[in-house]
Amino acid sequence: MSQQKIAAPKAASETQLIARAQSGDEEAFAALFEMHKRRVYSLCLRMTGNTAEAEDLTQEAFLQLFRKISTFRGESAFSTWLHRLAVNVVLMHLRKKVPQQISLDETDSSQDEPVKRDYGDNDRRLLGSIDRISLSRAIDELPPGYRAVFVLHDIEGYEHNEIAEIMKCSVGNSKSQLHKARLKLRDRLRQNEGLMAPPEPVVSDQPATER
Amino acid sequence: MKEIRQERTPACYQFALELEAYMEGEKEPFVPAHAHECAFCRVILEDLEALRSAARALPLEEPSPAVWSNIRAQLVAAGAFGERVGFWNWFGQLDFLPRPVPVAAFACLLLLGCLVTVPRTYLEHQATPELSALPASTPTRSMAFAGDSGTLERAVRELEETFRAREGSLSPDLKATYEKSLNSLDASIRECNDSLEREPDNSLAHEYLFAAYSQKAQVLSSALELDEGR
Repeated sequence: MSQQKIAAPKAASETQLIARAQSGDEEAFAALFEMHKRRVYSLCLRMTGNTAEAEDLTQEAFLQLFRKISTFRGESAFSTWLHRLAVNVVLMHLRKKVPQQISLDETDSSQDEPVKRDYGDNDRRLLGSIDRISLSRAIDELPPGYRAVFVLHDIEGYEHNEIAEIMKCSVGNSKSQLHKARLKLRDRLRQNEGLMAPPEPVVSDQPATER
Repeated sequence: MKEIRQERTPACYQFALELEAYMEGEKEPFVPAHAHECAFCRVILEDLEALRSAARALPLEEPSPAVWSNIRAQLVAAGAFGERVGFWNWFGQLDFLPRPVPVAAFACLLLLGCLVTVPRTYLEHQATPELSALPASTPTRSMAFAGDSGTLERAVRELEETFRAREGSLSPDLKATYEKSLNSLDASIRECNDSLEREPDNSLAHEYLFAAYSQKAQVLSSALELDEGR
């Protein structure tokens, strides 16, 4: 499909495109794909951390969209509906792939350690040094469960109650996993930038005197 | 660079405990107050806030063109698109060919030749009252193809030859899907040709034959597009 063919129906409203796509109009479906492909693909990419998997899942999401578009009644925004469909496609894939890794109810003891203390002066912070590539790489390195909650909340803007419903966990669990994911990301970014000099955190058994 | 070494205080433990809630927007006045006093906890808080902002600002990524090619190929092979393919749309499918302009020009010349050479009596025979009520282009277009099935057949055969030459690069599943779709269309084409042998003037059979060839061209072109997208 050439870009020209896809661009032509862009002017039409999304509602019209949806109606045409529901009746099997290829150009309308192509236009809907053009409108939403980046968001769906980005979601798939962030959730999997793998371009090939993300492309396969984007493909699967749009094939499912075509199969289900006749059931869309406009009760929610089309983008919300499609996005939710894509999230479900990705989660199904992740559950099949590594079922134990995206269970939010499992305790990851490695994440329960207290907040790490860093050496160095207080100017050595991540602030201003988080570039897109290093952040994307650090997100890719997160365990799938953490990654899913972080992507859904901090990147895609889902609320914890929505994440809890999607991931079939409690709201508290979603919040907890998000916080751990952020801390882990911070650690990764600092390690990547050499900001954390010693590997072990300094935690005194005896509380120090107040600074 | 001056290095500051500090140890965890009870206040730092409390900060760590309340940080999650604070980041979720809950009122935890201790967190910012402690961060103001403790350089290390302040860095943690600022880092997490910077992370959150950076995550929100991540740009959307662009999928490769192969994604659409794959989706379209699967939908076409499954016969998902209900709209009938028009004449010029069919020509649009030729744009993947190495020399689309000469091919399209050649096809146009052949069609023009056929229009000129279709016997006048044949045109008059087709001009039934029902057809004359339709826009002028409709019967003419149908009859052009009625007199030119050989041209269309040759064009599709050329597509099929290209497809056969490249089909080895398709995955077995996809290849099987295309084969199934092509076999079904070939069966339709055979049926139409059988009908036309019995009734050469059957306009409906001509229409169906054109539709079957058009669909076959579309399936083949989508397969070739897919192959090129790899």
